[in-house]
Amino acid sequence: MKEHSREASVAVAIVLLMLVLATLAHGYFSRENLADLFLANMPVMIIALGMTLIILTGQIDISVGSVFAICSVVTGLCARGGLPAVFGLLVACVAGAACGAVNGGFVAYLRVPSIVVTLATMVALRDTLRWKTQGSWVGNLPSNFQWFGVTQQVYTAGTLVMVVLLILLFVLGLRFLRVGRTVFATGSNETAAQIAGINTKRLVFTVFTLTGALTGLAAMLNSVRFNQIPSNSGLGLEMKVIAAVAVGGTAITGGTGTILGTVLGVGLLGSIGTALTFLNVSAYWEKAIQGGIILSAIILNALSTHHKKHANSINALPG
Amino acid sequence: MPSQVKPARRIRFSNGEWMLLFALMTEIVLFCAAAPGFFAWTNMFEVLRFSVELGLLSVALTPILITGGIDLSVGSAVGVSAVIFGMAWRDGHMPIPLAVVVALLVGCGCGALNALLIAGLRLPPLIVTLGTYSLYRGIAEGITHGAVSYTGYPKSFLVLGQGYLWRTVPVQLPIFLLVVAAYVLLLHRSVIGRALYAIGFNSEGAGYAGIPVRKRLALIYLLSGVVASLAAIIYVAHLGLAKSDLGRGYELEAITAVVLGGTSVFGGRGTLFGTLLGLFFLSVLQNGMHLLALPSELTGVLIGLLLLGIVSYDRLRAMRINAKPRIYPLSGARATRSKQVVTVLGVLLLTAFAILLPRFLRTAKTSATKSDVRVATGHRPVIAVMPKAKGDPYFISARAGAEEAARELGVDLIWDGPTSLDASQQNELVETWITRGVDAIVVAVENKGSISTVLRKARQHGIAVLTWDADAEPDARDFFLNQATPEGIANALTDEAARLLPSDGQFAIITGPLSAENQNEWIAYVRKRLAAKYPDLTLTTVQPSDDDRDKAFSQTQTILKVYPQVKLIMAISAPAVPGAAEAVQQSGRKGVDVIGLSLPAICKPYVHSGVVQTIFLWNTRNLGYLTVYAGWLYEQKRIPPGATSINAGRLGTLQMRGTEVILGTPLLINKANIDSLDF
Repeated sequence: MKEHSREASVAVAIVLLMLVLATLAHGYFSRENLADLFLANMPVMIIALGMTLIILTGQIDISVGSVFAICSVVTGLCARGGLPAVFGLLVACVAGAACGAVNGGFVAYLRVPSIVVTLATMVALRDTLRWKTQGSWVGNLPSNFQWFGVTQQVYTAGTLVMVVLLILLFVLGLRFLRVGRTVFATGSNETAAQIAGINTKRLVFTVFTLTGALTGLAAMLNSVRFNQIPSNSGLGLEMKVIAAVAVGGTAITGGTGTILGTVLGVGLLGSIGTALTFLNVSAYWEKAIQGGIILSAIILNALSTHHKKHANSINALPG
Repeated sequence: MPSQVKPARRIRFSNGEWMLLFALMTEIVLFCAAAPGFFAWTNMFEVLRFSVELGLLSVALTPILITGGIDLSVGSAVGVSAVIFGMAWRDGHMPIPLAVVVALLVGCGCGALNALLIAGLRLPPLIVTLGTYSLYRGIAEGITHGAVSYTGYPKSFLVLGQGYLWRTVPVQLPIFLLVVAAYVLLLHRSVIGRALYAIGFNSEGAGYAGIPVRKRLALIYLLSGVVASLAAIIYVAHLGLAKSDLGRGYELEAITAVVLGGTSVFGGRGTLFGTLLGLFFLSVLQNGMHLLALPSELTGVLIGLLLLGIVSYDRLRAMRINAKPRIYPLSGARATRSKQVVTVLGVLLLTAFAILLPRFLRTAKTSATKSDVRVATGHRPVIAVMPKAKGDPYFISARAGAEEAARELGVDLIWDGPTSLDASQQNELVETWITRGVDAIVVAVENKGSISTVLRKARQHGIAVLTWDADAEPDARDFFLNQATPEGIANALTDEAARLLPSDGQFAIITGPLSAENQNEWIAYVRKRLAAKYPDLTLTTVQPSDDDRDKAFSQTQTILKVYPQVKLIMAISAPAVPGAAEAVQQSGRKGVDVIGLSLPAICKPYVHSGVVQTIFLWNTRNLGYLTVYAGWLYEQKRIPPGATSINAGRLGTLQMRGTEVILGTPLLINKANIDSLDF
């Protein structure tokens, strides 16, 4: 339990919120609402998996919102051009991976600070998209675009399975694969990792590219829930994703954190907005409450791990 | 030894700022050549005036970045200080100086919370300020309900942001210089400043060297909050209003300026001089692009590329120097560096030329044709039309009409505006258009209070000023192109809701962002109409969509579940109608109707499937057409004083009421007529 103290505080918060909701908000735990909640938070969840890796290696990526928008539009254009959905999925992932690779290249090989690189790509990509689309939506999509042409239930179930598999893959990969361990090693002390024979540059590059690809996947999966695609999607998405990862206990300085924590963080922040409506709290205070939750989560994290601040961070690793 | 033979350049520009200085000079020379009206003292001072708020934040962020920290909450601190300032003055009936003190205290509090968490609890600045970024903005929205904007300040206060000393120097400039001077003293001329560099270089080492690391960190985060509130006060005076969304996005712009100025986000390196250069580089770029009438989006693309270019050049240089033996003859190093600099500047210039040259040639060509036309028919008028936000589908469809009219009349059309709702950017654009010397300005006003001053100035310069979509103060413009009054829109929507609902029915509103001026006005009129005419109808809840289709979708899903008695969704932002409609459709709930204000093009599928009953809109294409046509008519002095109607090209004769041109009644769009509309 001790090694999971970071996640524990978020888990406690979620349990408390659930108790409140179960007693006060009728229908919050209905199957329908849970399915809606899952779909609404699915993009954040998928991208947060990649973001966790990036933050674990001691980097950050604030361009995911812009990449998300670009991939959404690319998906729509592919579909309108008559490409089958599976192919569109591939194209979205490749487009996302390409954007991620640009970020990763600058960060890993030119050693430019990741926050600067991704700040630049965030602005440049968003404005390129605005310039090219002039804000117009991608409409007139083929009828088999929505839900990939299957029913809503099949799509929801399929996406759920996919997200769960992805989470498992990341959890197990970080724990048991060599490359997973190198992520922690690089984030804890990059020089030491290099000396130990880890190709940290390639690792950082890969992690950024992977996050790009995941962003593309999220964009595609989100786009098919509708029958037209706005060109301004994903505004502010980066903040949501980073906040979820941070609330989940991943240290922004790299080296410590878990996928489980991220999943809990997404769950907590993602359910707050809806929960407030269910509890009849005015929408005006939503942002303040979210900020309060982020702050209290990190303060709790800090207090619960304060006594072992100087301990070797490898101790905090699972397993 | 090396310190004795330091070349002058290294002493003055310790951080390679001369590279940026050169880039800035190049930029200025380019714009002088290409942009009309760029090279004038008044324009230079305008550029400075518009960069003060951002400049204050950048200056405050510089020492923070030097210590290896970051403060994402400065923009939000501006927002919360501004609304509390407005509140203290208007609702608290405090005199202005006292309200200023209150605002500064609020900023101090914002900074103190950051300082407590970062320096006191040793939490990472990025995450702390990400949390307070959300918290401060949320508090500003919460206490004003997003909707209240505090206006009507006395002239003596507005001078702070709008006045000029000796008729040329903006009043806020000396204040800015004072703050800069104070920060220069702190950072470059004091023990504390040295300590900050040491902390950024190695905070643990600094601690062992006896530097009170926590105290120093607390100081700069505290100061950053105070400076943010000072920026807020100047901003309020500049715009004449305080609202919860002031300063949104400023944190990233300020960080961009600081980083561009050579400050390393890893800490330990950077100067205020560099920050100022970075700031001016950005402001001059924006100003020049506007004067050249290049689309605003291009500015973002250029800034992004430049940021990448300059920072990676810096890294490359550092890597090359690090790869060499530590001690090397200084003259040799200088030679390589100059060579590299020449390369980089070459690349920079080439990029700039590649982008500007085609445009420049085109301007040259049009000015050639312009003079030909002038010989033949006199002068080819330039009509500048501004939407509230460029990316909004509503305004995009208006643009098509504007272009049509421009072709028909043979006038030059400049179509530019903020990329997202932003009152201060609107002001800035009008200023640049005055400098550029356009013939008519037609503005869709985002905030009445803030834009009227600059529109009056445009009129004084003999420019025809018209407003469309939403009006400014009547004496600030010549004509208002009235497509429908807020009251008319709200009444039409409410009546339609009453028609569709049973007499004791309930409905919900999905609005745009909570702070959207228009929407809040409509909601107020909807409530008024309900009270007056339909007392049994209930407006159950109002939820924001932030003009985001996906957010409107999930808000509607939640509303349908939480309030099963709601039988109608009124969506009053263009992207919210398809979002709400899709949610109703997917819920499978029969008997829930969606009505609202939106564009036929994006609502078509839902109108056909019967989820959306009615949308209201005027013909946006015609409205866009009218902006240019009326601008041209007035500029050509073809609207006599006291006219009761105008002849607007293909729109035929339009009625006038006083100084308002009436476009016609709002269109009621439903299944019957939606296919015949092409916007």
